[in-house]
Amino acid sequence: MLTDFATVLVFMVLGAVTVALLLLVSRLVQPRDPTPVKLSTYECGEVPFGSSWVQFNIRFYVVALIFIIFDVEVALLYPWAVIFQRLGMVAFVEAFVFIVILLAGLAYLWKEGDLDWVRTMQDAPARKEGK
Amino acid sequence: MPLGNFASLIHFLPELAVTATILLLVVVHVAGKNRQSAAPALLSLAGVGAALLLAALQPASAGRSLFEGMVALDGFAIFFKALTALATIVVIFMSMDSGELAGRSQAEYYIFLLSVLLGMFLLTASTDIVMLYLSLELVSIPSYLLAGYLKGRESSTEAAMKYVVYGATASGVMIYGFSLLYGLTGTTQIGEIGRALATGDAPLPVLLAAVMVTVGFGFKIAAVPFHMWSPDVYEGAPTPITAFLSVGPKAAGFAVLVRFFYTVFASPDVAAGVWKISSRVDWTLLFGVLSAVTMSVGNLVAVNQTNVKRLLAYSSIAHAGYMLMGFVLLTPAGLQAILFYLVVYLFMNLGAFYVVILVANGTRSENISDYSGLGSRAPFAAVSLAIFLFALTGIPPFSGFIGKVYLFAEVINRGVYWLAVVAALNSVVSLYYYARIVKVMFLEDPKDSTELPVPLFPRSVLCFLAIPTLLLGVYWEPVARVAANSVKLLAF
Repeated sequence: MLTDFATVLVFMVLGAVTVALLLLVSRLVQPRDPTPVKLSTYECGEVPFGSSWVQFNIRFYVVALIFIIFDVEVALLYPWAVIFQRLGMVAFVEAFVFIVILLAGLAYLWKEGDLDWVRTMQDAPARKEGK
Repeated sequence: MPLGNFASLIHFLPELAVTATILLLVVVHVAGKNRQSAAPALLSLAGVGAALLLAALQPASAGRSLFEGMVALDGFAIFFKALTALATIVVIFMSMDSGELAGRSQAEYYIFLLSVLLGMFLLTASTDIVMLYLSLELVSIPSYLLAGYLKGRESSTEAAMKYVVYGATASGVMIYGFSLLYGLTGTTQIGEIGRALATGDAPLPVLLAAVMVTVGFGFKIAAVPFHMWSPDVYEGAPTPITAFLSVGPKAAGFAVLVRFFYTVFASPDVAAGVWKISSRVDWTLLFGVLSAVTMSVGNLVAVNQTNVKRLLAYSSIAHAGYMLMGFVLLTPAGLQAILFYLVVYLFMNLGAFYVVILVANGTRSENISDYSGLGSRAPFAAVSLAIFLFALTGIPPFSGFIGKVYLFAEVINRGVYWLAVVAALNSVVSLYYYARIVKVMFLEDPKDSTELPVPLFPRSVLCFLAIPTLLLGVYWEPVARVAANSVKLLAF
């Protein structure tokens, strides 16, 4: 077992040495001609502006969570649909239970107003209770 | 032979009851007009009560492996299911009474609480490292939310933030340890990992994995040096949650610690009736030292605390240290001592926190100095608190004494004298800070002599906690027998 891990160690050392070597060679042979444009941060071809330490709206996070839940649902339902004929009733009940659980979550989101992106304070009475 | 998914469902009723209650709570929250109603609390009580009943009715005789080997149903798991469900019921009573939670959305609170309970059910029964990791996260994540439930209060937010950062680090290190174990053995089943390690000879990676896994479990039971989060979290979280975290997840942490280490890094020695360390890694010494350090740090730092919740936080660290003594012995009697101590600890620790809630409802303060003259202001609460504190110290005739007797007796039987000496010295230290609160309550003049009324409902809950604390000090045999029976089935 220990010899198996020795392979991993050799691999790690070789990896580190290779990277260091390549960086060194590149450093030795590269031509250097810096200009302000070349030294600026690469932002997909746009001219960079401002700092990246800005505050994001916390609701992006909620939306991301909602997305992941329904993404997982779809990912599960594809293979389910493929073998549905073979499993029959059992598969139907299982998926039904799974979707009902997710529906409860969806109802919760709807009630809490997390599905509306644009909203005013009046639209979200739950938020004002100071939970 | 592990049961398949459908055949397992019938043995999974307590978990299903909790899950159904969680879903119903979501519906109640969505449909309910008044979010401060008592309906969610009562619904949770019914659900957890049903789960407790179903867990108690499960046949403990035969160990079973459910869901293709994901979770085990044995006496050990049933014992911890009943224990954590009971703790949750008491915490629901505490929450209904807590002034801190009044006026906040109720259903969401109980959804998180019951999610932790479901996680604890699964955690104590997991026999697969993937399932184990998932259920540990199911315990942790709602715990973070609950610690920060007092949105808008700075200390609560701080508690949640610290808890998340520590928790994420600990579980990250732990899953690294799991990956090493998987790499060494090629299986995620803890039983098979244990068998593979028993025949192998690679002490270094195994030791590394053992230490990394210890980080995750040590975080859950708040053992030194993974205890840093607990005083701040315990102080900032709503008091019912503090009480809950100090009993429920801690008990579940012990359950998973025992099951994991006794299966993976030790194997049952049937002839001698004990476990023996496999794979030549002497982790019991490591945990012996951890135990001594944990109780010493907990007790010594508790001495000069001025906030009751912080003091009880350090005291619960110390109690984790005492219980670890039983863990290093590798004997059924050592485990029985842990299980018995957890039962006793449940009643005395939840009781102490309940009085803290009642006092805080009246005085809006958690400082020890504000407990002055409580003996005349609220005699019932003060006497109950004195009972719980003396039980925590381990003075006869209270139940804490019997719990400690079981632990100490087995430590001495196995000849680990140095650990027994450290623990005895620690008990002396603990007497000082527990008795200090009692002194402040009964011997100091009150700053404010108005009476603190304790209504009938909290009185009866206090009785429910104080009577076992007293009774288990004189008649403990049935509980000790249940604990002994729950240990036998562990080797599964």
